[in-house]
Amino acid sequence: MTKEEQLNVINNAIKQTKTNLKPMGFNLIFWSVVIIAMSLFHYFFPEIVQYSYYSAAIYWVSIPLIGMVYTTYYNIRSGIKIGYETQLDRVIRIIWSVFGLAWIFTVGISLVYNVNPVQDVLFLLSIVLIMTGLIIKFHNITIGGVGLLIFTVYTYYNPGLNLLLVNVIGITFGMLIPGLSLYYPKADVMLHYFHVVEEEEEL
Amino acid sequence: MNKEIEKLLFNPIRLKTISFLITVETCTFKALLDVTDSSKGNLSIQLKKLNEAGLIKIEKYFQKSYPTTDYSITKKGKKSFEEFYNQLLTYK
Repeated sequence: MTKEEQLNVINNAIKQTKTNLKPMGFNLIFWSVVIIAMSLFHYFFPEIVQYSYYSAAIYWVSIPLIGMVYTTYYNIRSGIKIGYETQLDRVIRIIWSVFGLAWIFTVGISLVYNVNPVQDVLFLLSIVLIMTGLIIKFHNITIGGVGLLIFTVYTYYNPGLNLLLVNVIGITFGMLIPGLSLYYPKADVMLHYFHVVEEEEEL
Repeated sequence: MNKEIEKLLFNPIRLKTISFLITVETCTFKALLDVTDSSKGNLSIQLKKLNEAGLIKIEKYFQKSYPTTDYSITKKGKKSFEEFYNQLLTYK
């Protein structure tokens, strides 16, 4: 092999590494649907969810925990299918794992002090969405995160709002719509994304 | 630049492997097969040589009772690849 050929081999091998964004899109859609469905069910059937002192807490902890187990399984499976993990994948995985732990901590604290965790969870979620959007350079997620952050701050100044409906609106615009745009991207968006990735790889 | 490393990376399969591993945290044997476009036997031999030279790390473990192997680049591998790549650029 000549030096030129060696450089071509290196460049071609590096270009084959692409961060697969579909699993992340699936995660966002899955959690949006779960949280929106749970909020709406709680809103329309409060007598079922709040039939005893602890039932609402059990409802809001047990279902998300089952969801966490399922998404962990899904992410491991999709990781095996892809066959490799990029540095970007690892960073995103760590950020969302930390969010999962922070969510457990926030819900735990809210149960101990008997306060509603919705605003704190939405605040955390908006920060994580902004970070994710900026890291993967996907504007829809960044915008969704910023929108959710503004909405969450607004709810702090309007304590009379129904927090279940706040959840539905915030998650729909901050997570579901960006998640759908990540899962079903327009061709030009993906081309732009991969173009950015390739530029970084060349650097 | 270490002549041995240079000789090792002269092989296109080994060079493709190292170039791919530098961009990922870990990868499976199947992913390396796709990247290097080589046969299983040949790739296994080249991976063994890279491992013996300390350029890559091979981790074997069981996942749901199935034996799984993960490949990743070592610090020595990263350093050697960078030196090799920089040297190639000087010839341009």
